[in-house]
This record gives sequence, structure tokens and C-alpha cells, in this order.
Amino acid sequence: MARTPSPALDRRSRTWCLAAAFACALPLLLLVPHWLAATLLAASGIGIALAWKRPAPSALRFLLTFALVGLVFSAYSFRLGRDTASSLLLAMLMFKPIELNTLRDARSLVGFSLFALFAAFLLDQGPLTLALALPAAGFAFASCARLADAEVGAIGLATNWKRIAAIGGLFALAAPLALAGFWLFPRLGSPLWGVPDVARAKVGISDRMAPGDWIDLLSDDTPAFRVRFDGPMPPQDSLYWRGLVMWNFDGRGWTQPAWPLGMRPAAQVPASRPVRYEVTLEPTDRHYLFALDLPQDAPEGAILAQDLSLAAQESVKSLLTYTMRSAAPARFEPDLAPGVRAVALRLPPGFNPRTIALAQRWRSETNDDAAIVRRALAMYHEKFSYSLAAPPLGRDSVDEFLFDTKIGYCEHFSSSFTFLMRAAGIPARVVTGYVGGYRNTIGDYWLVRQSDAHAWSEVWLPGRGWMRVDPTAAVAPERVFRRAADNAAGPGGGTTLGKLLDVGDWIRHGWNDFVLGFNSVRQQSLLSAFGVHNPDSGDLAIAFGVATGLLLAIVGLFQLRDRGPRRDPLLRAWSRFTGRLARVHLRKLPHEPALAYARRVAPLLSLQGEDVLALSQRFVSARYARPDMDDQARSALIKALRAFRIRDRARS
Amino acid sequence: MISAAQGFAATWRRRALGFTRPRRVEALPVALDRRRIYVLPTRFGLFIAALLGTMLVGALNYNNNPALLLGFLLAATAQLSLHATHLALSGIRLRDARAVPVYAGDDSILELRFDALRARPRPGLVLACGAARTVFSLPGADDVQVELSLATTRRGWLLPGRLTLSTTQPLGLARAWSYFWPDLRLLVYPALEIHAPPLPTHEGTGDRMRVRAQGEEPHHLRDYRVGDPPRQVAWKASARTGKLLVREYEAHSDRDIRLDWNTLASLPYEARISRLARWVVEADRANARYALVLPGQLLGPAQGHAHRHACLQALALLPHG
Repeated sequence: MARTPSPALDRRSRTWCLAAAFACALPLLLLVPHWLAATLLAASGIGIALAWKRPAPSALRFLLTFALVGLVFSAYSFRLGRDTASSLLLAMLMFKPIELNTLRDARSLVGFSLFALFAAFLLDQGPLTLALALPAAGFAFASCARLADAEVGAIGLATNWKRIAAIGGLFALAAPLALAGFWLFPRLGSPLWGVPDVARAKVGISDRMAPGDWIDLLSDDTPAFRVRFDGPMPPQDSLYWRGLVMWNFDGRGWTQPAWPLGMRPAAQVPASRPVRYEVTLEPTDRHYLFALDLPQDAPEGAILAQDLSLAAQESVKSLLTYTMRSAAPARFEPDLAPGVRAVALRLPPGFNPRTIALAQRWRSETNDDAAIVRRALAMYHEKFSYSLAAPPLGRDSVDEFLFDTKIGYCEHFSSSFTFLMRAAGIPARVVTGYVGGYRNTIGDYWLVRQSDAHAWSEVWLPGRGWMRVDPTAAVAPERVFRRAADNAAGPGGGTTLGKLLDVGDWIRHGWNDFVLGFNSVRQQSLLSAFGVHNPDSGDLAIAFGVATGLLLAIVGLFQLRDRGPRRDPLLRAWSRFTGRLARVHLRKLPHEPALAYARRVAPLLSLQGEDVLALSQRFVSARYARPDMDDQARSALIKALRAFRIRDRARS
Repeated sequence: MISAAQGFAATWRRRALGFTRPRRVEALPVALDRRRIYVLPTRFGLFIAALLGTMLVGALNYNNNPALLLGFLLAATAQLSLHATHLALSGIRLRDARAVPVYAGDDSILELRFDALRARPRPGLVLACGAARTVFSLPGADDVQVELSLATTRRGWLLPGRLTLSTTQPLGLARAWSYFWPDLRLLVYPALEIHAPPLPTHEGTGDRMRVRAQGEEPHHLRDYRVGDPPRQVAWKASARTGKLLVREYEAHSDRDIRLDWNTLASLPYEARISRLARWVVEADRANARYALVLPGQLLGPAQGHAHRHACLQALALLPHG
């Protein structure tokens, strides 16, 4: 079929679609790097301004497309990920308005805009994104309504505000259906295809730790995870959240080997009853999980490694909730296998000769490992100071730190301590994770932020096994538990702002719980509340069908109701009046004129015949004889008609 | 290839039209109910459906709950907008339809009166008949008069056939349409000849003409037409206005004007009809009594609006040559 050219777009519809597109782009604009967002906005603004009067030349559009695509790719260092793809979509969306001339263009822009909303959810699932996305989607649909009017040339028939109100009404009607879909539509137990990675790594503990790396991390207050304890919680100074156990040292940084993942967890003897808790981990795009020292078993979908670090089988791309049991150890791997011992003593040759000399001197003076540990801690306590403004270290980082700078933070302390222990012949390793946390009294849960990141050491002592040693605590215990202390009064020091922040985080926690955490497992437990146990997807489909069918019927009734201009109040009062007479079997016949009716029924009423006649006469004259009757007389008549009550019984 | 496809599509459209209601002409008033309202997604609606489908599958796969929530909300809204599209037509009633006869070539204005059984704001209704379309809205249950101008090309009965009432409200995702098939025959008079000679007041000569010219009052002036006798030209008035004007005389004569088909044998068939139609109009304007002689029928002599209509109708309904 020959396609008729799409009608041209009028200027106000164009503005309207542009506004909708911008509203839809906003959630994504807030999620991509700020400089990229600013550049895209500026480029799109210039492009729209250039193309406003007449379509931009295609060469220019071509050039702009290439430039923007190149820009986005370079922003993500030419790596493909879901953030790269989302940014590309955003760039296209920002660029599309340049060729906004016909109705077709406008409609594809609206479609793109809706897609951009979903792309935003791939990057962030927070309540703010949804709160921005909902009105944006309403905006997009309102511009659909405007385009539908523009198509038939009936723009003048409704105002934009009326359209927005109509969309709001439709949304309100659609909300129950949407919730039915959300709760009852059969969920996938396991995804059909994996979530693409992100190209730009998130801030968070990485799989390598070298002194000086964590400066950004330690000043980042975004949440890492939230914890809710089931029952009593351990003392605050033992809240060490174990993450990665790092065995390998390359002279500069520590890394985690792969071999512990393939071995059974080391033996441990708990010192007390384990505590139970639930961790809700923010997406990290990495494999490792965090658990309180020491985890007793691995949650579903994760592995407990030989060194009791946890690794998830899939990298954590969306919010992950897992339940854990942990207990402080009385003994932890008391029998160290020779191979493991060798790894825990391995040092790269040719690094840090002064430290090695010091360790050997200590070793020659005593054979007691514990004494050497105590001596090292005493040295830290006396001569070292804590500061985030630590000077950078050169090749022999441990030497320089221990003998020259003597100032640093957890990375420096744990790295140098572990090296020193290994040099003295004591098996040692670095553990990274988080320490402490902030208790949200409103929601009664613990919030652990990225800035709570910490690194400490474990040394192996005969008879006792692995033992946690935190050299940072030896230098500045208040710095380790700085947050815990600060946090006792709340982040804002117990002020109103602090309480508000608490409430905000509590809402976020609830959102994580109720919205983000809903999956096929929760869906099944939802149905079991209605007596359907272990429902399969067929049962769910039936439940979904029944619920949506019922809701559609109810909503349909709502849509069916009359919504035209209201009937004349005088007529309504009159039909009420005749209705009352009909109750005593004096029904007005459909074809009967008002006055004839009154004359017929008046003689049948013993007491009120006169009233009925008088009222009917007034009604007839108001309705048919005097259309210009003033409002006061009119409302008096309406009042009289409404006030009429049957007091006597009909004679026959 | 393309034309074959077009032909195929046209055939199918015709066949589909055979299944749709109403299947025959119906008496007014007619109200639209669910049995005769058809709803199908528009191209844009299909696009949005594909988009929402993709997004929902993606959201389900990633168990991305906010996206799922938004996706279901949009899908439910789109679904409800289909209902709204249906309801925008449901209950509309066509009360009556009429049109004043026009001359072929002019637009026939079809006047239709709509109201609604259920009061509901119904904007953006499109009424179409062939290529003619008009947009209106029914704000409540009250009467609304809609005019549809239909192009006419030939004299005789114009059968508008089925009228399509459609809307894509509220979102343009779906188009609901329904057909009215009122029993409607619009009369189209023949086109009037533009430069027709003056009325054949008598089949006589110049003498009689003069007698008549002397005996009657000049009625008014009109533009000169080819064939007007020079003595009728109003020279003074022509000089004043700059164009040739001719005096016309009121026919007070008892003599009837006889407009005879047979006197125009030299003209082609349709041209005869055009000229006679013009003469009928002229004679009526001159308030004359006139008779129209057509093959096999004689109208009049008479005068007045009804006679004029009868004559023009007779001319309009002459068989097409």
C-alpha cells in the first residue's frame, strides 16, 4: 500500500512531546556520569534550537550521531555493559528531537522515551527513580493523547491539563490491575538470560587491596548493606564483616587466590551460640558476600571457601538478601596443613629488606609467636598515628611505612603487619570487609556504609588457630569504631536532620524489602496465605487471570458510569417528588404531562392533594412557562419539591 | 505486483465490509451498541504493545520489580484506554440525517444530528463518508449537529452509503469504528449551464419581443450574456459600472413560458439538461409561470418553489445518456 506521508506536527504538540521526552530522560540523566549528562543536554539543546525552524541537514545529523556515540563509548572506556547501552539509548533519546517534524517522529519519540524509563531501572531500582518515572510515563501518555487529537485535527477540543487529568484517572483505574500483575503474574524462578555487566565498576571493596587505594571508598557514604539481627546481637566491637581473605602479596598489593574456593571450609569451634541475621546487600557486580566473623554455613547460591570467605555463584547484580549464622571462634583451623602454611608464609623476594631484618631480630629473641604479635602491636601503638592523609609509598612500601612515614590507615596497618608476621615466620593473611555499622533505631536494623570499609589481619597461632588481629585498633581504636561512636548519636548528631535521614534510610530499607525483594519465592508464600501451597506457574496463571478478570469488571463498571453534565436540579427534584408519590401507588405514567398527572392524583389524596397540585403548578410554570425565572425562586421550588413527604395514605 | 497486492487488499476489505454490521440500510434513529463497534489497535498501538511486551519480558527476566511495576501499570493503562475507546462510541445515536439538494459540482451539505444514550464526554469523533470527513465531539447527552460536505459530480440520486464514525481517543493506541447506514438518498440537481441564452419567452420573433418590451416594466439589471438582443442592453448603467448590463423584464404576461426539450435538439444530451435547468432557475427567479416539456412528461405550467423542485428533480433523474 502506498503510505500517506505522516501529517506535520504543530508547534505546541512538538513542545509537549519534547517536555515528555525530557521528563522520561531525567531518571537516566541522573544515573549517568554528570559530565556526560551535561554534555548530552547541551548538545541536544543546541540541536533542537538549530532544527526548530526547519529540519537540520542530514549531514549535520549524521555527524552529531557519530559524535555522541563516540562520546558515550569513550565515557565507558569502550567497554560494553548495560550502563553503556543505557547511555547510548539516552544519547539517542536526547538526539531524536532534532528530527521531530511529523506525527510519526513524535510517536517514535514517545516510544523511545518509555524505553528510556526501563533502561533507567536497569541501572537503579531505587524509589527515587520510580518516583520520577511514574509522572514521566504519565507525561508520555498525555502526549500520546495530544497526538491522537492532533492526528484528527481536534487539538482545540481538550486542554493539556484535562489530558493530564484524564491520564491520571486512567492510571488510578489501572493501579489495581498493575498490582495484580505485579503480585500474581508468574515469575521466573531463574532468568532466561543473564543480566549484562556494567562497564564502569561501582565503588566498593575491590578484589585487590594496596595501601592508599581506599581513599575514595572511605569517604563514600552510600550503603553497602543492611543487616537485621534475629534475636540478640553481638557486642558492637566484634562487628567485623568478613569479606575477602587475601593471601597473595606482590610487593605492593594483596589479592585473593582462587584455591580456597575449591576446598572445604576449615574446621572451627564456635566460642558461643551463633547469631542469626539477614543481610540485604546492595548490588556490587562482584561475587563476594559479607558475613559476620565467622560464618557457619553458606547461604543458598553461595560457596563458603576454605578460609571462610563467601562467594556467590552469580555476581550480585541486583539487591540480594541472604540469611546467615555466625559465631566468634574459640578455635579456627587449629591444624594448619603444610601447603596452606607455606602459602600463608610466602613473601615476594627482594622487597622490604629492613622489615625482614626487624622480623628476624624479633624471632631470634623469642620463640613465642604470641609474644611477637604483642610486640608488633605495642610498636604500632607507641610510634604510629592514624590519618587518611597518608603520604604515598614507594617500591618497598612496608619498609617506608614502618620506618619512615609511620602514618596511615587500615590498609597500611594491615598490609605492613601481615608482612611483618610472615617475615617473622608466623602464618598471616589480610582480611577485608567492613567494620561496625550504624543502627537505625526507627527500623531497628544496621546500616553498613562503604565508608565503613576496613582491612585487618589474621595470624595463625599454635593451638588457637587463626586469630583476628586489628593493628589499626592498636593505633587508634576510636578510628576503627569511629562510626559506631558517631553513629550512636545518628549521622546528624541526633538532630532533626539526623532523624530525617534515619527515616529516609528506613523507607529505603522497606522499599528493598517489599518491592525489590519480591521474587518467585515470595510470590509462592503470598499464595500460601490463601491456602494454595506450593503453587506452580499454572496456579499462578489462574490466580492472575481471576484477579485481573474481576478487577477489569470492576474497573469497567467505573468506566461505564455516566459522566456527562449533570441533569437539571429542578428535574431531579421533580423526579424525586414523583418517586415519593409512586411509593403510595400514584405512579406517573411516562406519557402523562405533569399537570394532568397532578390533577389525576390530587383527588386521591385526602390531606395533601392541594399541596401536590400547587407544587406541580409551580413546577410546570418554572419549567415551561418561565425559563427566565430567577435563581432564588427556582431554588425555593427545588427545596419545596425535595421537602415533600407523603403524610396521608391514598384513598383507594 | 503492487497493484495486485492493492487489488487483493481491496477485495478483502470489501469482503470484510460484507461481514460488518449493519448489513443493510436501517431506519433512523440508530444507536451504537457493542455488537457493531469494532476496535483494532492502530499502528502506533502495535508499536507500544511490542515495546511494553519487550520491557515486561526483560523486567521479568531480571526480576526488576520497579520496571515490572511500571510496565504493568502502563500495560493496564493501555488496556483500559481500549475500553475507553470503545466506550467513546458506545451509546452514540444518529437521530436524523438530511441534506438540501444542490447542483452537481457543488458540495452537498449532509446535516446529521447525533446525541448519546449515556452522558459521557466524547471528544475527537471522526465522521467519514468516502473522502469527506469531519471532526466533532459530544460533550454530554445533548444533541449535536454535524455537517458533512460531500462532493457531487453528477446529477441524480447521491447514495452516501455507509457513514463511518471512528475515534482513536484517548491515547491513539486503538481505533474504534462503527458504521451507520441510514436510508439516505440525496438529490443532486443537474449542473446549471453557465452562459446560457436568455429564457425563450416566446418561440416568436423580434416583433413580439418589442411589443412585450414596451408593455412591461424593467424589473432589474443582470450581466450580459451572449445572444442578448442589443436593444436590451442598459447602456447608461453599463457605462456607470464598467460592464455590460442587460434589462430584464418581469413577466406579467398571461402567456406561460414553455421550456421544451425538443427545441434544443441541436445540443448534446447533457447540455440540453443543463440549459433547461438553468432556464428553470431563471424562470423561477423571474417569478414566471412555466412549463417543462421532457420526453414523455410534462410539468406545469405552474410556478413557485415546489414546481421548481419538481422540474429540477425531473431533469436530475433523466436517464444518464
